[in-house]
Amino acid sequence: MTNLIKNIEINPLRTSSSLGAAVFFLGLNNAVVLMHGAVGCASFDKVTLTKHFRENIPIVTTALNESGAILGGNEFMTAGVKNVYEKMKPDFIGIASSGLTETNGEDIESIIKDFKAEQEDSFANLIYASTPDYKGGFEEGYITAMLSLLNEAVKTAQGKPLKRSNKNTKTINIFCPPSFTPQDFLELREALDYFGLKQVMIPDLGLSLDGHLDERGYLQTTSGGLNVQDLREIKSAELNLIIGSSLKTAIKDIEELTGLKTHYFHNICGLKNSDKLFNFLSEITGKEIPEKYKRDRRRLMDAYLDSHFYLTGKDIAIALEIDLLDSFSAIYSEIGVNLQTGISTKFDDDVARRFSNFYDGDLDLLCKSGNGNIGLIVSNSNAKFYAESLGIPLLKAGFPIIDEIGHNYKQYILYEGALNLAVQTANLLNKE
Amino acid sequence: MGIVAKEEYFDEPACEHNGVAKEKKACKTATPGSATGGCALDGAYIVLSPIKDALNIVHAPINCLGNSYNQRTSKALKGKEYYMYGFTTAINENDLIFGSEYKLKHGITYAFNRFKPKGIFVYNTCVPALTGEDIESASKELTVKLKIPVVPVFSQGFSGNKNLGNKIAGEALFTHIIGKKAPSIDMLEDFNINLIGEYNIKGELFLIKKALKSIGINVLSTITGDSTVEEIMYSYKAELNVVICSKALVYLARKMKEKFGIPYIEESFFGMSSTNKAIIDIVSAIGNKSLKNKAENYIELMTRKTEYEIYEYKKFLTGKKILLYTGGVKSWSLISALNDIGIRVIATGIKKSTEEDKIRIKEFDKNGNIILLDNGNPVNLIKIAKENDADLIMAGGRNQYTAIKSLIPFLDVNQERLEPYTSYEGMECLARRIYYEIKTPLFKLLRSAYILPRALKSTAF
Repeated sequence: MTNLIKNIEINPLRTSSSLGAAVFFLGLNNAVVLMHGAVGCASFDKVTLTKHFRENIPIVTTALNESGAILGGNEFMTAGVKNVYEKMKPDFIGIASSGLTETNGEDIESIIKDFKAEQEDSFANLIYASTPDYKGGFEEGYITAMLSLLNEAVKTAQGKPLKRSNKNTKTINIFCPPSFTPQDFLELREALDYFGLKQVMIPDLGLSLDGHLDERGYLQTTSGGLNVQDLREIKSAELNLIIGSSLKTAIKDIEELTGLKTHYFHNICGLKNSDKLFNFLSEITGKEIPEKYKRDRRRLMDAYLDSHFYLTGKDIAIALEIDLLDSFSAIYSEIGVNLQTGISTKFDDDVARRFSNFYDGDLDLLCKSGNGNIGLIVSNSNAKFYAESLGIPLLKAGFPIIDEIGHNYKQYILYEGALNLAVQTANLLNKE
Repeated sequence: MGIVAKEEYFDEPACEHNGVAKEKKACKTATPGSATGGCALDGAYIVLSPIKDALNIVHAPINCLGNSYNQRTSKALKGKEYYMYGFTTAINENDLIFGSEYKLKHGITYAFNRFKPKGIFVYNTCVPALTGEDIESASKELTVKLKIPVVPVFSQGFSGNKNLGNKIAGEALFTHIIGKKAPSIDMLEDFNINLIGEYNIKGELFLIKKALKSIGINVLSTITGDSTVEEIMYSYKAELNVVICSKALVYLARKMKEKFGIPYIEESFFGMSSTNKAIIDIVSAIGNKSLKNKAENYIELMTRKTEYEIYEYKKFLTGKKILLYTGGVKSWSLISALNDIGIRVIATGIKKSTEEDKIRIKEFDKNGNIILLDNGNPVNLIKIAKENDADLIMAGGRNQYTAIKSLIPFLDVNQERLEPYTSYEGMECLARRIYYEIKTPLFKLLRSAYILPRALKSTAF
């Protein structure tokens, strides 16, 4: 609300929908992101993503200029698609529009359709996400791209017989929120492996951005992620598993598009939420929870005990996108941290209830969190201004983290993730 | 001014290759489907954001600022806490329908009341430019009301690239800031100059100022590293403009010459030879004999000192080969710095270089075998580096992963550089960085690790 009154965002927490779509596309294997807009739209995003993930980020631009902006960018886009395909031979070209191209009201969808019809069958999959930057934010762009991909998958699966390679292996579709780190993706994949489940992760940022030195050296496209062959498997999977507060709005669409039974977890962080997930996996597979996770669980309980001396009763402020705010506050609530101030980019009743003060807005609202007792801020790199001026530590999480490395190796989900967060937080609060 | 970029930006009478520049106008359009540099907004923001008592408000949907603020590495002494802050009006759908002028004015006023800055730059961007928002009259109105310069910057991205944005920022400073206030007597010393196009990345300006101060030259205004709005207003009182590594801001220097009669020279402070040359050129332009003597003594002293400091590095680096891929002026100014430490540049990027830059490259290319790279395609860079056995690639951050993923040592020379590389102290930093980057055993280890041991092969995916 506060932003409406001041009419300006000061150190925004929000990022744009086109960036969200781009991040989704980066979780597809052998993919390139094509930003339909002026050169800056691609360049700004590319720079931030490169600094955040410390990886090569294949984002290119349609390079709209004055005449394109005023008279329409049709030719810029088709030329862009053609050039990308010829130069890089990707399996996927993820196209995101911008405020610029949406303002002049182009019908990009039909331009792409017509273009695609002229190409051979083997041409790259064109996945288009309409992401006007003045509408919605990161999560909306991510979901738009996700649903576009599902649409494409449904089309691909039409008329083709289900090919279940192995009847004993159940395949499930996993929809993870954009707040998952690449490590989170990998950890979830491993957990499912333990239960003998084959997983199609939509998208899979674990295999693409986990920070691995690829055998093929430098690549112009993404070096891993959801495979083009997996598109066919989506419809023939056993069920959908959707995780994340931000994906709540997409449940119905995903269910309808895939026609599969759908299960939803708002997050899988902390003791209770991890329990719920493992019980669920045990139920659907009929398998016992693996020994590894039983032990992880006991380790977490112990870590909670060790860290609670530093955490219980401490006031903290968290400014994060809604998925992480939900996840982190769930973990902190279990230990008894005082959740003083919560700031996010949208309002969520369930999450808001955990905080004494909850705002939907920019990082500048952190100024309001100073009743003098806040001992720690949990937010992205841009919150350093406030941590410095309040003289308190900043636990860096979320997006973007541009001033330290290693974010892709951090885990916040499952028992081990909660353990990491509890220990990290305790150590920061214990530092005098 | 409308949304179409001024014709004047592409016309540079101060450049002897003006005709060429005009023909090159078409170059401002990048190829669709390629990765390119930033847009005009990016370029304007780079120039204006280091001013440490001004606010930068981007009038745009959330993406233009929200996705990428707080990333510049310009340093400021006693900077106000807010100068690196990101401000945006975050235009939403309602604003598009009902207009966003009211919001802009209120937003600016709120920010002014909160931070009490000495100036505010308001950046126009694609969407409001397209819908025809009048940021010029809003700025005019607020300049009167708030009693500080509120400067409209017409930096909509579709107008052109970063370079154009630099010029647009120069134009904004020229029209609204420079010459608006006279300096007090005690600010002026015997010899006063301005540095144009120096943004104090990693504190490089401090090193340049240190050298100039040692011989008695006062930097009156820096445009814009570690500067204040007032300082830039004073700049018209300087007797010389020194444009550093910026073709785009020659535009501003030329305008200052026309209006205030300040002559200008273009210099680089990368490396020892360039720093020596820059100092000599500056004192020659000022034309004072005792200053000249002082400068010569200082150069002699610092050259000896620096040569001593870099001796070990130079011994190791002599004969090593580097592929250089960076923009414009740096395409030649860095060659000089690298030559100072015995390194051979095998190739340099010329995509963003002017004809003049290319002539300078040739001057440094004694044997005439530097490859001129017109194609910055990463695949091409690696190919050339490998074919020529380059020991290291020196480029901007966007090529960092191109190089290291191919296991080629890399050094960032653009704004992400980790240390200052200007002046004498910068020469040491540069030499040390390159020395350790080439010398590290890591790349050798990883190259050999590429061939997987048999036992690992089966599990690798």
